[in-house]
Amino acid sequence: MLSKRNKEVLFNPLSKDNPVLVQILGICSTLAVTVKLEPAIVMGLSVITVMAFSNVIISLIRKTIPTTIRIIVQLVVVAALVIVVQQFLVAYDYDVSLQLNVFIGLIITNCILMGRLEAFALNNKPWPSFLDGVGNGLGYMLILVIVAFFRELLGSGTLLGYQVIPQWCYDHGYMDNGMMILPPMALITVACIIWVQRARNKDLQEQA
Amino acid sequence: MEELNIFIKSIFIDNMIFAYFLGMCSFLAVSKNVKTALGLGIAVTFMLVVTIPINYLLDKYVLQAGALTWLSPTLADVDLSFLGLIMFIAVIASGTQLVEMAVEKFSPSLYASLGIFLPLIAVNCAILGGALFMQQKSFDSAWTATVYGAGSGIGWLLAIVGLAAIREKIAYSNIPAPLRGVGITFIITGLMGIAFMSFMGIKLG
Amino acid sequence: MNKNSNIYQILYAAIMVVLVGAVLALVYMSLKPRQDENIANDKRRQILAAVHIAPPTESETGATFDKYVTGGMLVDSLGAVVDTTRKAAFEVDMSKNVKQAQRQLPVFVCTLDDGSTKYVIPLYGAGLWGPIWGYAAVDDNGNTVYGTYFTHSGETPGLGARITEPEFQKQFDGKELHKEGAFKSIAVMKKGQKPLDGSDYVDAISGATITSRGVGDMLEQCIKYYEPFLKQLSNRSNQ
Repeated sequence: MLSKRNKEVLFNPLSKDNPVLVQILGICSTLAVTVKLEPAIVMGLSVITVMAFSNVIISLIRKTIPTTIRIIVQLVVVAALVIVVQQFLVAYDYDVSLQLNVFIGLIITNCILMGRLEAFALNNKPWPSFLDGVGNGLGYMLILVIVAFFRELLGSGTLLGYQVIPQWCYDHGYMDNGMMILPPMALITVACIIWVQRARNKDLQEQA
Repeated sequence: MEELNIFIKSIFIDNMIFAYFLGMCSFLAVSKNVKTALGLGIAVTFMLVVTIPINYLLDKYVLQAGALTWLSPTLADVDLSFLGLIMFIAVIASGTQLVEMAVEKFSPSLYASLGIFLPLIAVNCAILGGALFMQQKSFDSAWTATVYGAGSGIGWLLAIVGLAAIREKIAYSNIPAPLRGVGITFIITGLMGIAFMSFMGIKLG
Repeated sequence: MNKNSNIYQILYAAIMVVLVGAVLALVYMSLKPRQDENIANDKRRQILAAVHIAPPTESETGATFDKYVTGGMLVDSLGAVVDTTRKAAFEVDMSKNVKQAQRQLPVFVCTLDDGSTKYVIPLYGAGLWGPIWGYAAVDDNGNTVYGTYFTHSGETPGLGARITEPEFQKQFDGKELHKEGAFKSIAVMKKGQKPLDGSDYVDAISGATITSRGVGDMLEQCIKYYEPFLKQLSNRSNQ
């Protein structure tokens, strides 16, 4: 089931071919849901689900899609899947669905999705497409979780809602960095991650 | 006065890019020089102004719970709000298509300058985001919603043109190699966002 | 068949729309009861939170609500009761209600373990980014606040969003809505400042000036409609 190529399809997006850091796709929603860890994880899982299934569906019907209305077909499939995910969230995890608010709907316009559908699912069999979807979804989620980890830890002193920075630190004058929870710091956190990653992977560096 | 407030607020405070990061993908791709940035900014503003009122009316008279009563009172229990997302994206995608055709036919010169950006816009989060926020804010009239759309679009335009201008200048700076390109752009956007936060809380009249 | 012929495209699109529509309708219909239950339970929890009661588990929300919230009513702007069913009060959608010229004024009647009666008033106002709402429980003297609950849709986490924290909400307990017989509401003031009109006040959340001000305005704007009703309560308790 996991041939060498399929393994690459699944794992490359985690680092070398990360959709957020390297392909610079899907930034929009990366940042807005990363104030706390929990919504970031739920968002990541939602994206993985939508991505894997839309990849499979498009791959299954790839031979029947008329090229002229290709984009619309893709949008409809993705939108339908997103609505399903959203309805399930409201039914089974109401609190998180409130926190994610409109951003779950914005998965539709997440460029990673359309990008993968166009670049991969339209030309590949369902199984590799599924792996590609999961891989890219995981790569996306990884970044979400890293960013959310630092923002919640430094911004609120908690992780997943539990206090992790002990009280005596506060007693000795430590303060939560209120800056971290403001929107702009999400961008700067991602920039730091890019910095670290590109410092290690020299061939990803851009020429100025 | 209410409209003016919404307008100012959607440009400076609820800025699509700095507060919600919507439309970042094209934002990063196109903000390399001011001219193309301006073109995309105008295209986005235009699409927001066109699609937001359409989506508003759609939401109000078709999708919301009990919205179909104008057709027949027996439809008061029908709630189509779960179709909201798919309808909005359909309006946006077909809207882009129509606008593209119309612009091509009536103003070839505008088409030549905007043309390549128009198809990109169907998948621009800012447009769908605009529709979703519009729904959430439940405005009183289509006019208010249009004002909101215009404000959001101008806010987006302002951000992308500003960033493009800075990026043109930063090409001459000596940036650490791993940060070149995307990295430094993120940081600049973040700093611009912090600057925009000083507008928070302004209210007219 | 030619994939790019018009007929094929139109057929393709039509079949797709019907299929997708059917699937979505199916999902929606099957999840709807659960969703409605979630939404109603969330509201029940918020009302209970205003009288400092938390349901022991998620599934017992309904039972706890039935036990403590013993009644509900709609009053009019003169304080007269126009409807005495809890269901009518529960079904008022505040986000739509506040825009109406003739507001419906729902009140929930809670009977606590010690036998005392509290009146819970729904609140709805504007924060920095979007709406904020909540509930305020008032003692049967129509003056003293017993408890409050606030929440929001998108205030800044760690700043405005802190109106949901008990530390902020607890401040309102025991504060008085009236001073010398006149309705003054409760002001939310920057730490160290006092309102000039002598009304009761609480400390704002530092760094969240606008959301805090929004809470103060919301209390005043929403409760003032209940003024005749609160007067009646206080007259009754003085007798």
